[in-house]
Amino acid sequence: MMKISRRTFTGLVGLAGAASAFGLVGCASGPRVVVVGGGFGGATAAKYVKRYIPDAHVTLIDGAKTHVTCPFSNTVLAGINPLSMLERNFDALANKYGIAVVTDMVTAIDPVTKVVKTKGGVSIGYDKLVVSPGVDMKWGALEGYDEAASMIMPHAWKAGPQTTLLRQQLEAMPNGGTVIISAPGNPYRCPPGPYERASLIAYYLKTQKPKSKLIILDAKDAFSKDKLFKEGWEKMYDNIIEWVPAAKNGKVIRVDAKAGVLETDFDKFKPAVANVIPPQSAAAIALASGLADKSGFCPVDPNTFESTIHKDIFVIGDACVAGEMPKSGYSANSQAKVAAGAIAAMVMGDKPAPMSAINTCYSLLAPDYGISVSGIYSVQDGKIAGIKGSGGVSPSGAPYQFRKKEADFASGWYAGICQDSWG
Amino acid sequence: MKRFVVTSAVGLGLALAATAAQAAPINVMADACSGCHGTDGQSLGAMPAFNTKTAAELKKMLRDYRSGAREATIMDRITKGYSEAQLDAIVDSFKK
Repeated sequence: MMKISRRTFTGLVGLAGAASAFGLVGCASGPRVVVVGGGFGGATAAKYVKRYIPDAHVTLIDGAKTHVTCPFSNTVLAGINPLSMLERNFDALANKYGIAVVTDMVTAIDPVTKVVKTKGGVSIGYDKLVVSPGVDMKWGALEGYDEAASMIMPHAWKAGPQTTLLRQQLEAMPNGGTVIISAPGNPYRCPPGPYERASLIAYYLKTQKPKSKLIILDAKDAFSKDKLFKEGWEKMYDNIIEWVPAAKNGKVIRVDAKAGVLETDFDKFKPAVANVIPPQSAAAIALASGLADKSGFCPVDPNTFESTIHKDIFVIGDACVAGEMPKSGYSANSQAKVAAGAIAAMVMGDKPAPMSAINTCYSLLAPDYGISVSGIYSVQDGKIAGIKGSGGVSPSGAPYQFRKKEADFASGWYAGICQDSWG
Repeated sequence: MKRFVVTSAVGLGLALAATAAQAAPINVMADACSGCHGTDGQSLGAMPAFNTKTAAELKKMLRDYRSGAREATIMDRITKGYSEAQLDAIVDSFKK
C-alpha cells in the first residue's frame, strides 16, 4: 500500500514529468535522484545528494514510515532501552531538505528505461539511482531455518518485531535457563554484533537471572574485537558466557525450531531461548534487479559505489561489496557520502574526488563498558582497503575509566550518526 | 483541478526553497567525520562539536592526536589515517 503525503505528492508530480508546476516558476530542472531504502545508507544518500546538488529532485522510497535501527537494539534486548528509542522517521528529510518521501515497496528496477516500480503501482524515473536496501536472511541456508522458524527462534538481525520477540523470550525465561546465540560465518551485517549481543544479554542475566548461562555457537574461529570481548567477559561474565568456536564444533548445521533444538556436528542443544543469526545476502530487490553477483552481494566501483553491473545505479551499505569496509551503519553512512559526492561530480561533469571513508563502531559489554573499532579507507590497488598504520581497536587492558568513557562515546556515536543520517 | 492548484502552490514554495539553498561544499573526506560529530560538526551528543573551537585550535588538536602528543580514546587511531595537510583541509572544510 502506498501512502502519499502532500509533500510526497508534490515531489511525485515533479518527478512524473508534470514539470509545468516547476517550469512555471523557472526552476532549473535538476537531476532526478531516487534512493531505495531509508536506513543509514539511504537516508544519508538522500540528504547529502540534496546538500551537494540543491536543485536535484530527490525521492526516498522505503517500505515503512519509520526505520528501526539495528545499532543499540542489543540494549533493548537487555532491557536497558525501549524499542521506541530505535525509531527514526523521515520528517526532517522531507521538511528540512525537500526530499520526496514515498512509503512503498520497490518491486522492480529497470536499468535500461531507468524506472523504479513499486508495489503500490507507481513508476518513478531516475537519472541516478541509489540502492541501499540492506540484507535479507538467506532462508534455508542453515538447514531448518526459514521464516516460520524465525518466529520461534528469532534472528533479531533486523530490528523491530524480531527484537521484541527475542526480548519477550528472555523475559519469560526462568532463572537458570540457557540462552544460545548461533553466530554465522563471514560476511554478515555488523561483525561485532553477535558478541555485543551476548555481552548485553549476559548483563541482563547477571543482574536479573544470575543462575542462567549463555552459549555462543560460532561458525568462525575468530571475530571482530575478539580479544577485547574476551577480556571483558572474563572480568564480568566468566560464569555466564561460553564461546564455542567452529574448531571446537561450534558451528550450528541444523535447527528444528518446533522441537527447540540446534545441532552441531556432534552435539544437540535444547536451550530455553535460541537466537539464530543466519547467513545473509543483499536484500531481495538487489537480487531481483540483477545487481548482485554469485556472492549474493553487489559488486561496485570502489571509487564511486556505482554498480559494475548496471550503470547509473549506486549500491551502498550492507548490500554492496566494499572491500575491507565492514557491513555497518557507519560504513553505509560514509559510503552514502562517497556516492553522493560522485553523483554530484558526474552531474556537473567533473571527475569524482578520490574515495575516502571511515568506519567507527562501538560495542557495549555493559552500560558502562564500551570498546571501539575504527578504520579509515581509500582505494588501494583497485580495492577499498584500510590505510596502513591507522584505525584498529581499543587498547587491551585499559582501566575502567577508559571503558566507561568509550561507553559514553557509544551513546554520542548513536546521537551523532542518527542526526547525520535522518536529521 | 482544485488539487492541481494546491499542488502547484506547494510546488512553488518548494521550488523557491530549493533555488535559495546553497550547495554545501563537496568534501567527502571531511563529511565522513559527521557520522560521529553530526552534520557540519554540530554534535548533539557526547562527541565534541566543532563550533566551540577555532580553526587553528582544531588543526592543532588533530595534529596532536596524530602525533600522540594529545591523549585520546579513538581520535589517535583515526587521525593516523590522514596526512597533516589532509587534516588541515578537513578543518577548513568545516570552518568555511
